[in-house]
Amino acid sequence: MAFLDRGARSLLLSELVSGLALTFRHMFRPAVTLNYPYEKGPISPRFRGEHALRRYASGEERCIACKLCEAVCPALAITIEAEPRDDGSRRTTRYDIDMTKCIYCGFCQEACPVDAIVEGPNFEFATETREELFYNKDKLLSNGDRWEAEIANNLALDAPYR
Amino acid sequence: MANLLNNYLLPLIIIVLEILAIVVPLLVAVAYLTYFERKVLAAAQLRKGPNVVGPFGLLQPLADGLKLMMKETVIPSGANRVVFIAAPILTFTLSLIAWAVIPIQAGVVLADINVGILYLFAISSLGVYGIIMAGWSSNSKYAFLGALRSAAQMVSYEVSMGFVIVTVLLCAGSLNLSAIVNSQAGSYGLLNWYWLPLLPMFVVFFISVLAETNRSPFDLPEGESELVAGFFVEYSAMTFALFFLGEYGNMILMSAMTSILFLGGWLSPLPFAPFTWIPGFVWLFAKIAFVLFCFLWVRATFPRFRYDQLMRLGWKVFLPLSLGWLVLTAGVLTAIRTWSGTGG
Amino acid sequence: MPKLTVNGIEVETPPGATVLQACQMAGVEVPHFCFHERLAIAGNCRMCLVEQEKASKPVASCAMPAADGMVIHTDSDKAKKARKGVMEFLLINHPLDCPICDQGGECDLQDQAMAYGFDRGRFEENKRAVKDKELGPLVKTSMNRCIHCTRCIRFATEIAGVEEMGATGRGESMEIGTYVEKALTSELSGNLVDVCPVGALTSKPFAFVARPWEMKKIESVDALDAVGSNIRIDARGSQVLRVLPRLNEDINEEWISDKTRFAIDGLSRRRLDRPFIRKDGKLVEVSWQDALETVASMMKRIPGERMAAVAGDLVDVEAMYALKALMGSFGSGNIDCRPVGVALDPSVRAGYLFNTTIAGIEQADACLLVGTNPRYEAALVNARIRKRYLKTGFKVAAVGPKLDATFPVEQLGEGPEAIDRWTETLKAAKNPMVIIGQGALARPDGAAILARVRKLAEETGMIREDWNGFNVLHTAAAQVGGLDLGFVPGKGGRDTAAILKGCEAGEIELVYLLGADEIDTSRLGKAFVVYQGHHGDAGAKRADVILPGAAYTEKDAIYVNTEGRPQLARRAVFPPGDAREDWKILRALSDMAGKKLPFDSLPQLRKQIVEAHPVIGAVDAVTPAAWGNFGKEGPVDPAAFVYPIEDFYRTDAIGRASPTMAECAAVKAGVAPGTPMGGKTGTHG
Repeated sequence: MAFLDRGARSLLLSELVSGLALTFRHMFRPAVTLNYPYEKGPISPRFRGEHALRRYASGEERCIACKLCEAVCPALAITIEAEPRDDGSRRTTRYDIDMTKCIYCGFCQEACPVDAIVEGPNFEFATETREELFYNKDKLLSNGDRWEAEIANNLALDAPYR
Repeated sequence: MANLLNNYLLPLIIIVLEILAIVVPLLVAVAYLTYFERKVLAAAQLRKGPNVVGPFGLLQPLADGLKLMMKETVIPSGANRVVFIAAPILTFTLSLIAWAVIPIQAGVVLADINVGILYLFAISSLGVYGIIMAGWSSNSKYAFLGALRSAAQMVSYEVSMGFVIVTVLLCAGSLNLSAIVNSQAGSYGLLNWYWLPLLPMFVVFFISVLAETNRSPFDLPEGESELVAGFFVEYSAMTFALFFLGEYGNMILMSAMTSILFLGGWLSPLPFAPFTWIPGFVWLFAKIAFVLFCFLWVRATFPRFRYDQLMRLGWKVFLPLSLGWLVLTAGVLTAIRTWSGTGG
Repeated sequence: MPKLTVNGIEVETPPGATVLQACQMAGVEVPHFCFHERLAIAGNCRMCLVEQEKASKPVASCAMPAADGMVIHTDSDKAKKARKGVMEFLLINHPLDCPICDQGGECDLQDQAMAYGFDRGRFEENKRAVKDKELGPLVKTSMNRCIHCTRCIRFATEIAGVEEMGATGRGESMEIGTYVEKALTSELSGNLVDVCPVGALTSKPFAFVARPWEMKKIESVDALDAVGSNIRIDARGSQVLRVLPRLNEDINEEWISDKTRFAIDGLSRRRLDRPFIRKDGKLVEVSWQDALETVASMMKRIPGERMAAVAGDLVDVEAMYALKALMGSFGSGNIDCRPVGVALDPSVRAGYLFNTTIAGIEQADACLLVGTNPRYEAALVNARIRKRYLKTGFKVAAVGPKLDATFPVEQLGEGPEAIDRWTETLKAAKNPMVIIGQGALARPDGAAILARVRKLAEETGMIREDWNGFNVLHTAAAQVGGLDLGFVPGKGGRDTAAILKGCEAGEIELVYLLGADEIDTSRLGKAFVVYQGHHGDAGAKRADVILPGAAYTEKDAIYVNTEGRPQLARRAVFPPGDAREDWKILRALSDMAGKKLPFDSLPQLRKQIVEAHPVIGAVDAVTPAAWGNFGKEGPVDPAAFVYPIEDFYRTDAIGRASPTMAECAAVKAGVAPGTPMGGKTGTHG
């Protein structure tokens, strides 16, 4: 009987038909896609997007040029040069991230002892040229100024789990 | 002078206008078939499909066309230029000229020739030349392998397709497409059409058409997972666009052929008013659309065949089946004729 | 020979060893901060606590003499707990500012806190804050980080011999400082940075520049004095960022002088990075091709006896060999490696070496300094003499102007007549030694003084089978190498003085200066001057053609130190711009001048050098030199000796280009008081 059953099934293409039926049913289900540029999905506070260098509320930059992010960066995307500032404090003279090398692993923000370098919630920073993705300190600081509210909020949300 | 005008120029102008009347809607249909395909696939995959360019993304095909026109045509340095350029033109042209014999409505056909089905069959078989030329002239191993696959595949499935058509011809008793359509008319409407009495042949024909048009699940000549893009891997811009138009034109042509052979062409499925008031070309259009939808539906459902499976199906299943059914049909028809005493 | 057991391993220690040393001999690591094997034992950090069986408390292993039958445990619960407690106490007042601390990454406290410390702090109160001290332009302080190990105090007092550092206050108010705000007056002050186990004392010129893990570390030798200190060059990209000492018991132990350590910022300033030709009185940048062609055509045109070459203080052996070969191929014997005209000749090797060797000083028991101030001329020789002095039973006397030495010196007189005043003491000594310096040799009567000192050495029993107490202290790294190669006038050739005279008289038409900045360039007359070197100093200013060469950090080269010890300097960075290794320049020039030198690669060149001068092949070793007859007896000018180095920090082109050295010199001269930190406390970053 099994033979007959199998024969009949293959002759009547029952598996093909059931497959077709499945796709047909799905055609009438609502789409799960977001209409991206107009709708956006929720982002976790831990989302690792575009980098930013933060400042203290006083306007003083947080980064102290400890170079831990540079050391931990597995893609060697970060380049830092430092020297004493006029007031004797340790500051970077150069803080570059090659965003084309970056793999967004988030090690830099994990390594940062002062929460200066962070990966913010912004993921829409496509550029028309490659060169624009070589971020320097000014760009990173301006990112920080622009996203500070969101970044601070995300850090606060994530703080209990650290 | 007037003689010349009446005898030659006027018919020429009329013919050109007739051709345009077929070709222009056809090209628009091809364009929107791509849109339709993307929408159907998106629906099956719970996506939205193109929806940005124009309302509901309706201008997407135009944008795509514009993009392809703007792009640079790259001709590989190792390619045979003449053949390389000729191949897409050939494919595109062939997909258009077959429409000459397709009856759009009762009596509305560009060339109502007696051997219409043979012509159609011949033209569709020629399509393989475009692919072989493209594959050979590209001077690329991917393209060449794709072309070889395509040739073998088309030859294999044309055999069983041929038998299926013969089966239909036996029933219709004519090679004229209009006559074939008319032979399907009857008081039971869609139940009179050949798809029901020749159901296994209809299935064989539909599947063979998929193979003939290199559609999923028989799209091995493109086979992007192993052949990158198959025979048109080296093509870009307008040459690529011509292949694309040709392929989709072929799909519509094959759908029209299926509609005519098995789905009663322009006939109304319900042979009574008010359905018979609807013009025949609308019905034909609806049937073509339905068959095309089936193409896409299949694509959304089934994974690609392996090449040996494809060959096995063609030669070991379809060929015996269609041959057997041909004999059976012939036998049945002869038996009916003998017993009913109506000779001829 | 006490025998004791450490963690179940039985060890036998030399008498007088400590428990800590016994543990190290057993291969057991004991963490420590205040203990330093070259400094006196203080025993105040308590990090080295170990458990000793039958002792009621853990003992500080660095201060506990090893005794027979002791049973020591370094990894028992008691020892571990004691260590953790000490570490926690140390960290109570140590700021957790590792990210802004220059010691981060190479900090003993950081490493040991990771290995032996608690994983959290329990201290909730405020940490103490200490005013930063001003120690001059080389050492930066951050006194909050100090853990009061007193290594710096002991180093300054014992090794450097300047009793300028000390601790004030007790307990929590203890502070390390210089009592009065003043820069350290030691030539070895940079070693405080290495000695400090935490980030309290860090390098000021290197402040915040780089992390240890970023830099390429190259083991090389120093060429800024004739000691040949072993150094480690830390470089990043194209820049030498830092120089650290490398352990070599025979030469520098683990110290280096401030010049060696801090003059390197001169390597990136005033560099000659392109060939120049003087056109209408102005130097114009040209291509190598043009520069070499100009020199080659001059060389082809001018007869050999009208050409001359002088090698300077920083030149390596390879370059001198190549230049000597090139000049020889033109038949010129007018070559000299003694730009200041010291009266040394290569005929007897023992006559120009520091025969006792630097380590050998420790065996001496009387030392006569003739016209030399080792403190400035070779700070590490000076440190070695002080080390010998600290062991007691050592007498030092000097002939020359009054020395500000770091050990007591008997001043015999200022001029040559005083040389013989100490003969009896020397005779009485078991291992007497004499060090004759450039101050005595670079005089017209230098040869006569040399002969007199040789006689003194022979008379006082300095020259024995097992002891050679005759020493020449050089100031230039190139000097001994040049003498070993015979880079001196050939038959009928002119020495530096005669070359200059010849230039003035118009008898010398072409002078090839190989890094020679020490000669009086105003006396070069109308001669066509080719300067090959790395810094735009005196020689380059007068040059008609400049061929940019490589400094000692930019080439693989051999330098022979004052002991006659050939050592290999290794390339840490590439020469800047178009500059090239010196031997390559000479090889290319020889090709253009139609006298192609017979080597194409450094190994080939070195092979030829070693074949011709086997002593240079004995790298890192001192080949004992046979005694002979050297010097030339004659009348001696009674004038007082003049020490060759007035400004310790700026003896050469590199030091003169270095802003750090300029600042040091200014501080020393009392012109600049250094840069006060403004009494900052806390983590100013």
